Amino acid sequence: MKKITLKLFRYNPETDTKPHYDTYKLEVEPTDRVLDLLEKVKGYEDGTLSFRRSCAHGVCGSCAMRVNGENKLACKTLIQDIKSSKITVEPILGMPVLKDMIVDMEPFFDNYKKVMPYFINDDPKPEKEHIQSIEEQERFDDTAKCILCGACTTSCPSFWANDEYVGPAAIVNAHRFIFDSRDQGAAERLQILNDQFGVYRCRTIFNCTLACPREIEITKAIGEVKKAIATGSLD
Amino acid sequence: MALNRKVGFFKGLKYKGGGPMWAWVLHRTSGLAMVVFVGLHIIAGFLTQQFGSEAGIAINTIYENDIFQLVIFFLVIFHAVNGLRVVILDLITPLLEYQREAIWLEWLIIMALYSLVIFSVLHDVMMG
Ligand code: SF4
Ligand code: FES
Repeated sequence: MKKITLKLFRYNPETDTKPHYDTYKLEVEPTDRVLDLLEKVKGYEDGTLSFRRSCAHGVCGSCAMRVNGENKLACKTLIQDIKSSKITVEPILGMPVLKDMIVDMEPFFDNYKKVMPYFINDDPKPEKEHIQSIEEQERFDDTAKCILCGACTTSCPSFWANDEYVGPAAIVNAHRFIFDSRDQGAAERLQILNDQFGVYRCRTIFNCTLACPREIEITKAIGEVKKAIATGSLD
Repeated sequence: MALNRKVGFFKGLKYKGGGPMWAWVLHRTSGLAMVVFVGLHIIAGFLTQQFGSEAGIAINTIYENDIFQLVIFFLVIFHAVNGLRVVILDLITPLLEYQREAIWLEWLIIMALYSLVIFSVLHDVMMG
């Protein structure tokens, strides 16, 4: 067992005008995750603590939060991997906070929808599946891993400055379809991203790549989209 | 009511983005610092030339000061090398995968160039 001090960002829209922090002293296992600590506080200390979580196994993307100042999935962050015995948990940046760790994700999904993140192919349906070679699939393998947690977009200073910027997550999901040999919507998506609030807001800062819990090479994906726009070719 | 989404300057700086984020912050700051430096240089020259003014000479002594020179040289070298890193990574996309290594290489080059500056400034000081 390890003794830790947990500092939590608190904001209740019904009673507070300003946010504050609450501190809890807990005894935890090194193999506990940050999410387990939040559950402990909610279950035993203060039932009003609010946060999103669903799968608790790093696949649904609900639990992105700032843990000691860095975007993480609460359910994937082990206590033994955090060097300090003081752990501060805050909501992700650049989104309106609704309550405690819960932010309004609507602007994030509005940006996501802008890039048409779905399969477009107007050809007559093949008898079975659309065939694709292993090499063609590998082209977008990395960006297909996205779970839409928002850790990348909310770590991006360009997005903090202006939420009209589509943000890294939307570009990652555009990349997933642009470079899919079976899809036919690439030209339209590239046109949408060829905009002052599209890829050019990316200043190659790399916060997104370091924040992504799926270890997607986001800046590289954005670079490939920039290149496709500049050269007009997907090679 | 939901809390405003605004991320102020200091709130943003507290985010732990690590090396690349600090390189970006320093890039912006050094850019501004160079504008101020060049501005001072022009104003000082103008004041001395046109009016033979004492103020021009006073400004000159500020930026000819060794410490000021060391700082401004660092900012110029950093801005140039960091700018090159970003341009190269932006143009040759496959290299983006090696961005972590690129930061180390950048600092190595900066340190090598900067030690030449330190050497030359110290040399001047010692030799008068
Ligand atoms: S790219 Fe990574 S950080 Fe961004 S939303 Fe997808 S999984 Fe989350
Ligand atoms: S709870 Fe699903 S990703 Fe963390």
